[in-house]
Amino acid sequence: MMGGDSSQAFLRDAFEAFYRSHPVELPDRFTRREFAFLMFGGKGMLRHLGFERREQFQDFLEERAPQHAYYSSAYYQAPSAPKMQDKKWMGAELIFDLDSDHLPGAEKMTYVESLAVVKREFQKLVEEFLLGDLGFSEKYVSLYFSGGRGYHCHVKDPTILDLDSSERRELVDYITARDLQDSLIFHERVTARRSYGTQEFASGTSLQMPSPQEAGWKGRISRGIIEIVEEITRSDSPMEKLKEYGVKEKDAERLVQELSEERVRRIRGGMLDQSKAIRKFFLNSALRKTAVSLSAGETDEPVTCDVKRLIRLPGSLHGKTGLRVVPIAIDALERFDPLRDAVVLPDTPVRIQIPSELSVRMKDESFTFSPGEHEVPLFLAAFFLGRKQATLQEPNP
Amino acid sequence: MRELPTLARYPFLADTRQYIKDHGPAITDLLHDLLYERARLTSIERLDNALSDSDVGERSLATDADCIMEILSYPLARMVTVCISDPYFQRRYALGEAYHTYKYLLTEPTSFLSAVAKELGLSVHYTPETRLRLFFKDYLRYAPTTYKEWKMVNREVAGGYIALSHKDLARVVQETLRARINTELSGRPCDEDVNRIFMEDIRRLQTILQQRQRRQDAVPVGKLHPEHLPPCMTDLLAATQAGENVPHMGRFALVAFLNSLKLSPTDILKLFSTAPDFEEEKSRYQIDHITGATSSTSYKCPGCDKMRTYGICPTEKMDGLCRRTRHPLNYYSAKWRQEKKQ
Repeated sequence: MMGGDSSQAFLRDAFEAFYRSHPVELPDRFTRREFAFLMFGGKGMLRHLGFERREQFQDFLEERAPQHAYYSSAYYQAPSAPKMQDKKWMGAELIFDLDSDHLPGAEKMTYVESLAVVKREFQKLVEEFLLGDLGFSEKYVSLYFSGGRGYHCHVKDPTILDLDSSERRELVDYITARDLQDSLIFHERVTARRSYGTQEFASGTSLQMPSPQEAGWKGRISRGIIEIVEEITRSDSPMEKLKEYGVKEKDAERLVQELSEERVRRIRGGMLDQSKAIRKFFLNSALRKTAVSLSAGETDEPVTCDVKRLIRLPGSLHGKTGLRVVPIAIDALERFDPLRDAVVLPDTPVRIQIPSELSVRMKDESFTFSPGEHEVPLFLAAFFLGRKQATLQEPNP
Repeated sequence: MRELPTLARYPFLADTRQYIKDHGPAITDLLHDLLYERARLTSIERLDNALSDSDVGERSLATDADCIMEILSYPLARMVTVCISDPYFQRRYALGEAYHTYKYLLTEPTSFLSAVAKELGLSVHYTPETRLRLFFKDYLRYAPTTYKEWKMVNREVAGGYIALSHKDLARVVQETLRARINTELSGRPCDEDVNRIFMEDIRRLQTILQQRQRRQDAVPVGKLHPEHLPPCMTDLLAATQAGENVPHMGRFALVAFLNSLKLSPTDILKLFSTAPDFEEEKSRYQIDHITGATSSTSYKCPGCDKMRTYGICPTEKMDGLCRRTRHPLNYYSAKWRQEKKQ
C-alpha cells in the first residue's frame, strides 16, 4: 500500500526519534499554560492539557510524538480546566503571527519566495515598531520561525501582559497604520499672497510634509516618500519602477511627466506638491512600504488581539514540514534561512515516490528531482511527505 | 501638604485623604452631627449634578469652612452612590467626578497636572524643557482611542512614550479617575447607617433611574426588523443569504447580533437557509455554539471598533447614525426609537 497512512506513520516515528534525543524547552511559567496537540492520524485537537512537571511533558512528547504542538500565550490559574472561563485568565504574552498565507499575492509565490517576503514584514515589525516606536527592551522580545509559512514574535514585557483585547487591537492598528489621518500628517502652507487694496489673500498653497526625523508615523511617512522619490529618480527606467509599485501604465506616464526636477527638489525640501495624483501615489506607496502587513483583513483574524490564543510551541516540530520552531536572535534575523537553520531531522536515506518534478534548496544544497523513485535524506523526505508532495516508497516484499 | 482649596478641588488625592484622617470628624459625627449638615447636602448635590449634567458641579471655596464641607461631601457622595446600588448610576457618578476634575486640571500648571497623573499611577515624563509624554500602555488603557484623532497611529510615538498636550493629558487623567472610582465603588457593601440617613434621596434617585430604564427597554425582541439593521449587518445577512463566502468573524458577528435580539437558534437558522450552499447540520452546530446552546458561553456581538479591525465594517456605507454609535446593537435600538418618535 502506498499513501497517507504509511507516510504519517513514518513521520511519527521520525518525530519520536527526534524528541527522544532533543528535549524541548518549556515556556516560562509552564504550569500556568494550556497545551494542545494534533496527533498523526488523529481526529481533532487534544486540548486543555496542563503539565505540572517538566518530565511529564517530555514523556508525553516522546511517547505520543505529536504532529503539531501548541501552548497558550495566556497564563491561567487553572490551565487544564475544560471551560475557558474556568481557566481564570492571568495575562498573556503579546503575540505577532506573520504568515505568508495572509500576504497579498502569496499564492503566486514559491515557498521560499513567500517566506522571504514575510521576513521583510517581520523585520519592519520588530525593528521599526516593537524595538523602535514602542521601545520594548530586546530581552523581552523573542523571535521564532514558525516551522511553516511564517514567523512569530512573543513579547513578554511584564508591564504589558495584562493588556486586554481592545488595547492589543489598538497596537495592531498602529503597526498596520489603520485609520491614519493624512490631514494630521500633511499641513497646508501658504506659499504666496496677493493683496487687493487693504486685504490680503492666499494665492498659492502647498502641502508640507513633516520632517523625516519626527516621531511616529509622521516621520515614517516622510522617510518613506523620500525613499520612493529617490528610488524612482535614480532608476534607469522610472516607468518600470513605478509599475513595480503597482502604478498603472497611464498613471505612471503622467507621474513621470509631473515629476520634474523642480518638483523632486521641492519634495526633498519637505513640500509635497498639490497635484492630487502625486500626493495620493506617494502617501499610499509610503504606507505600503512602511506599515506592517499583518493580514489583509481577510478571513484570518489578527492573532495579536486574541488574549486566549494557542500558539505553536517553540522547540517543537512542524508536522507539515518537519522543520523546527527555532528561536532567532534579533541580530541574526537578516541572515536567517529557514531551509538551513530550521532543518533538524537527520540525513538518513529514505526512499520516496515523487509524482511531479520538484526542486528545493535545503541545508545550502540544491536538490532537483524528476518524477519517480528517489533516495533522499530524511529531513527532505519529511518536508515533501508533510507537504504531500511525495509518498513513501514501500519496501518490496 | 497642599493648600486647603486644592484639597477641596481634588478630593481623591492622597493629601485629601490624609487631611480627613488628621482633621476630619468621626464617621458617626459626619452622618449625624448638625455641624456637617452642609457637607451632607453638598454630597447629594454632587449626585444630582452628576446625573443631570455629568459634572458634580462647582461651589464656592472662598473660606476654610467652604473647603472643609466640600472635602467631606466627597466620601459621603461615594457612600450614597454605593447604597443606590445601580451600575448605571455608579458609572454616571464616576464620570461626573472625573469630568469636574478635568475642567479644573485645564487651568492648572502642567507640573501640577503631571503630579496628579503620577499619583493616579500613570507613567508620565515631564520637565519644563521637554514635552509631556505618557507611557504607551497607560495611553492604550485610558485614552479615548475610539476617536480617530486619539488613535495611536495619529500621535507622536517614540521609545514607548506618546507626546501629549496639557489638555490631552487632562483628558487621560479624567478617564483614569473615572475607571478608578468605578473600580473602588464596585462590590462595596452599602452602610446601613448611610442608607437610613439618606433614605429619601436614595429612593428619589432610584425612581428617576427606573423611569429612564423603562424608556430604554422599549425595543421589541424576538422578531427581526431588517429596516433597522446597521449597514454591516445588512451586508452580512445579504451575503449569507446569497451564499457568498462570509469570513468566519462575519458569520460570528451576525449570529451573535441576532442572538442578542433574542431570535431563537431556529429562527436564525431559517434566515440562513436560503443560501444555495446551506448545510443545515453545519450551520446549526455553529449557531448553537455561538448562542450558548451547546457551549459554555453565549457570545456577544463585537462592537464597531472590533468590526472595523476585522474588516467587516463597510466603512463606505456608514451613515450618520453609525458615526454616533459604537455598537451595532445600539444602532438597531436607536433606529427603533427614531421611528417611534415619528
